Amino acid sequence: MKALLIGEYRQGKLLESSYELKAFADRLGAESAMVLVGSAAEMPKFGGRLYLADVASYGEYNPDLHKKLVLEAIARENPDYIVFVHSSYGWDLAPRVAAALKAGQVSEVVGVLDGKFEVTCCNAKLRRSVAPKSARCVITIQAGAFTLQGEPQGVPQLETLEVSDTSGKVEFVGYEAAEQKEVDLTRAEVIVSAGRGVGKKENVPVIAELARALGGELGASRPVVDAGWAPHSHQVGTTGQTVSPKLYVACGISGAIQHLAGMKKADFIVAINKDKDAPIGEIADVLVVADVMQFVPALTARFAR
Amino acid sequence: MEATREIYWNVGHAVVLPMYLLTLVALAACCYGFYLRVAVYRQAKAQDRLDNPGKRLSLMARNLFGQLKVLRVSGPGIPHGLFFWGFLTLFIGTLLVMLQADLTQPLFGLVILKGTFYKFYSLVLDLAGVIALVMLFGLTLRRFLVRPEGLRITRDDYLMHLLLTAIILTGFFAEGVRIAATELRGNPGLAEWSPVGLFVAKQFAAQDDASLKQLHTLWWWGHFLMVLGLIASIPWTKFRHLFTTPANYLFTDLRPKGSIAAIDLEEEGVEQFGAEKVADLTWKDVFDSDACTSCKRCQDRCPAFNTEKPLSPMKVVQQIGEVAFGNRDASLTETVGSDALWSCTTCRACQEICPADVEQVNKILEMRRNLVLMQGEFPGEEVMVAVNNVEVNGNPFGMAYASRGDWSDGMELRTLHEDANVDILYFVGCYASFDKRNQEVARSFVKICNAAGVRVGILGKEEKCCGEPVRKLGNEYLYQMTARENVELINGYGVKRIVTTCPHCMNTLGRDYRELGLEADVEHYTVFIDRLIREGTLAVDERRFDYTYHDSCYLGRYQDIVRQPRNILHAAGGRINEMERSEKESFCCGAGGGRILAEEKLGSRINVKRVKMAEATGAPLIVSNCPFCLTMFEDGIKTGDCEGKLQARDLAEIVAQRLQPMPVPSPEGLN
Amino acid sequence: MKILVCIKQVPDMESRFRLNGEGTWYDEADLAFRMNEYDEYAVEQAVRLKEQLGGEPEITVVSIGPDRVVEAVKKALAMGADRAVHIKDDEYYRKDPWQISSALAAHAASRHYDLVFTGMQSQDRGSAQVGVTVAELLGFACATTLVGFAYEGGTITVKRELEGGSKGIVKLRLPAVVTCQLGLNTPRYPTLPNIMKAKKKEIVVQPISELLKEAELTGTAGMYPPAKRGGGIVIEGDVNDQLDRLLGILKEKTTVLRAA
Repeated sequence: MKALLIGEYRQGKLLESSYELKAFADRLGAESAMVLVGSAAEMPKFGGRLYLADVASYGEYNPDLHKKLVLEAIARENPDYIVFVHSSYGWDLAPRVAAALKAGQVSEVVGVLDGKFEVTCCNAKLRRSVAPKSARCVITIQAGAFTLQGEPQGVPQLETLEVSDTSGKVEFVGYEAAEQKEVDLTRAEVIVSAGRGVGKKENVPVIAELARALGGELGASRPVVDAGWAPHSHQVGTTGQTVSPKLYVACGISGAIQHLAGMKKADFIVAINKDKDAPIGEIADVLVVADVMQFVPALTARFAR
Repeated sequence: MEATREIYWNVGHAVVLPMYLLTLVALAACCYGFYLRVAVYRQAKAQDRLDNPGKRLSLMARNLFGQLKVLRVSGPGIPHGLFFWGFLTLFIGTLLVMLQADLTQPLFGLVILKGTFYKFYSLVLDLAGVIALVMLFGLTLRRFLVRPEGLRITRDDYLMHLLLTAIILTGFFAEGVRIAATELRGNPGLAEWSPVGLFVAKQFAAQDDASLKQLHTLWWWGHFLMVLGLIASIPWTKFRHLFTTPANYLFTDLRPKGSIAAIDLEEEGVEQFGAEKVADLTWKDVFDSDACTSCKRCQDRCPAFNTEKPLSPMKVVQQIGEVAFGNRDASLTETVGSDALWSCTTCRACQEICPADVEQVNKILEMRRNLVLMQGEFPGEEVMVAVNNVEVNGNPFGMAYASRGDWSDGMELRTLHEDANVDILYFVGCYASFDKRNQEVARSFVKICNAAGVRVGILGKEEKCCGEPVRKLGNEYLYQMTARENVELINGYGVKRIVTTCPHCMNTLGRDYRELGLEADVEHYTVFIDRLIREGTLAVDERRFDYTYHDSCYLGRYQDIVRQPRNILHAAGGRINEMERSEKESFCCGAGGGRILAEEKLGSRINVKRVKMAEATGAPLIVSNCPFCLTMFEDGIKTGDCEGKLQARDLAEIVAQRLQPMPVPSPEGLN
Repeated sequence: MKILVCIKQVPDMESRFRLNGEGTWYDEADLAFRMNEYDEYAVEQAVRLKEQLGGEPEITVVSIGPDRVVEAVKKALAMGADRAVHIKDDEYYRKDPWQISSALAAHAASRHYDLVFTGMQSQDRGSAQVGVTVAELLGFACATTLVGFAYEGGTITVKRELEGGSKGIVKLRLPAVVTCQLGLNTPRYPTLPNIMKAKKKEIVVQPISELLKEAELTGTAGMYPPAKRGGGIVIEGDVNDQLDRLLGILKEKTTVLRAA
């Protein structure tokens, strides 16, 4: 079984997510080769064949061009699976490749079970098991669903990848850097929120510190914003922002319905509250019964290591 | 000597003709002024406010002559009342003179003003005049010296105070010099029946006859011309309230409090919804601005105004008048402003206290309808989300509608779908169904019903939001959609009695839904429980506690229900520390008018202000009867730093904690 | 200009989902339905483009599914679409993204649309394929994950949302397909006059059999609820023990800690 992994390279960097493709191939038990529109200077630590198209000549992501390059690699490698990461690159490119091959595509795979692919549906409230019906299959994997065991290693066997017809219908113009001014919690993957239980304004930075340590954003419940302990741009709830991070840590938040409505879509919810019966316990995956100001600094310290 | 007075003494009978001619001119000016104003009222829509004329006339008579609404605020109210009665008496007195001098005496030789009657007449008029003068003086001091906050002084006010004072003074002066020239010399005993006139007369006693007559002529004509001036100025100044305010009593809204006109959504070819221009309002809405005297009683009580929001009900009413009489094509919503319009909590404190029967709330609601239905504008994105949630899942939280009845798991009650054979339908409402804190209230209520042997059922997942918050925010379309579904469902089950723990649901089902065909009786649970206690069906342990009670707007003002909750809490052992603003003067929690769905971005927090009022009573507990109020108080206690000093409870929770098991089996015939 | 907006009616995501009898899809009973949130942004953007061009463009909204999808179609009409096509299919869930795309492309084939708007994915199945596949079948240019859109003289300049919050700016010429991300605009609340007008707009119904000629390329083998959330683990006790337990659970259950 052969898998062709389509790595992603952007703005001079090989994206770490490309290694997740390898992890997926390993999980499948498939032999893998990789395709990358990148640079010989930034090669992945990958031990198989690498079809490398030089980004200097082909430029930043151009869908029609990348499609042709990938199809060229497919013609040479003849894989059973063509695997992308389900990212703004993957979900844009994969269906084009699939349509050209008239191959089935399974999107945002989170697991492999009995030779079938597991995906989530309906805000992850349900799971579906999908079986390809075509000879080849295009797969996109959920970011973070497959992690490599150990560190990536290996030196790839380079194969040059090129096409003569570089025309395309979509013209790349440029990148726009992320805005720094307003806090957009809706895109955050980790949010650590402060509720009234933190006690006073001076304690909020402690919560922010944990957010930073987890690589996330600071959120706040409404009473905290009302009291002026945090700016409104951090407010989570029906009258603030509705968020759906991978991890939501609610510190000293009781769980009023207006707040719950804003964060219950989170994949995993940890609540830290000294009240064992706080309503937030109903939707939290984990409830840590502790004093917020004691627990949070200790938790942050664990991440500093 | 005869107790009488020579009418037209000194000025002579020759004045009659010019007097009547001039009066006609003044009256004509007055009529013309009103004619012009009527044309402006009529640019707005028609509305029948003359149905049930007997009742209307009776109300007008009581409020006008009894000054009932004016007296509600006694500070300025009593002086105004006394001034009014004084001036009215003087007016009747003058009419009697005219009646005799120009009708009865010349035609029939009949003299009314003589003898004992004349003596009392003189006394009463003098007293009326001095009382009026003193009250007027007091009111003048209040307006111009004390300058109460929020009371604007306009050009009209200067005119009115000056003119009225001058009219009364010239009246007394003319009387005084007349008495000095006549009775003082010829009939001193009679003069004592005009004590004020006598007093003035004595000041001029030294003058010779000719001077007295000159002064009398001066003041007589001055008095007469100023009165004519007043009459002519009526439609053009605040004096118009002499007619417009009593007329407003006549035109009062006889519908149940809080009634709003439903928009006929089936009507073909309607392009305009809600009020954007004056023409979209009713004539009564424009007339209200003429009946309004800017007394600011509404503004004083408005929770929005008193928390630094840009809304003043008085200003809205005046602005409508300004646009109607000024630039009738101007946009009302832009003139009043979205911020002001969205700030209203529909608490009705303004209408409840208004001495001129002005209807502030519905004007705001009509303008909101325009913002939402014509412009798709909302006070904030969070409201649009909540409105969409009501559309999709029948509740503003966006919780799955199928889980609406889950709060009742493990309790002794059924959905109507399972068993429609119940004594009452408990219409739970969105908050008690989904909000954790308020679910306690729902459970408490069911426990109370169980203890009283009342078979209670709920609609469960079939229940939808009653639609009240979205209706008050202007979304008539969504309201009608959700309301009609509820009505059809409830009627379909043949429900006879509905009880609810939410005053908003109660008003909506009990009043608004009638138009849509709801048949069942609707009761608030406090009335329901009060009756159960009085009937002996429910026994409540008397366990002492101290508390203060919050009269929610939709129960106290909208429904006049203030006694029953207090009865219940008393029976439960409560000792009440009333807040200063209670019963009809209660101060809103801030969540009405659909504002429970919106974020409070302007000014200070209404709920914190109310919580502080509760804290000030010293009571450790604030008891309410509405899910919005409870939510607001829990929030306000935290934000207002009252945690540990004050707790918020719903009445149902207090009762549920004090239930006694019934010693006798539950009686039948509860229906 | 002719614009096509492809929308899907999906269940409200707050619902509790149960499986249907066969275990291949969710049971529709007790579910509230609404327009796919991503498609709302698509409809809004199409209407804004129409307004920008003085009302000249004609917007057709199309949706595949049972009769209930007409509610979502009506909302699109109330927001400003001109006419609608309902491709009736009571067993829409049996069609895979390839078949859905083929049916849509078959509809569009002879109609010469200049621009196609759709959401980047549906909230229920979430395959994020249909928009791009339709573009490939029609031979149109395509850009996905739009958070910015500008049109001028036959060329559209769009901003694509990339990971980390930065954006990629690309240009494409018509005819094109664009898929919309949340936050592209603020979908309008339909005004009442527009809701009334929408009731009179044309909705053409077509059975899917007339348009679908392709077989599926992937199939649903089964559907099941995920492993329970553990009903919420409560961790009490000594702070250090709590920390150990919590970190252990986080490592096991979430993917975000690899960054830490």
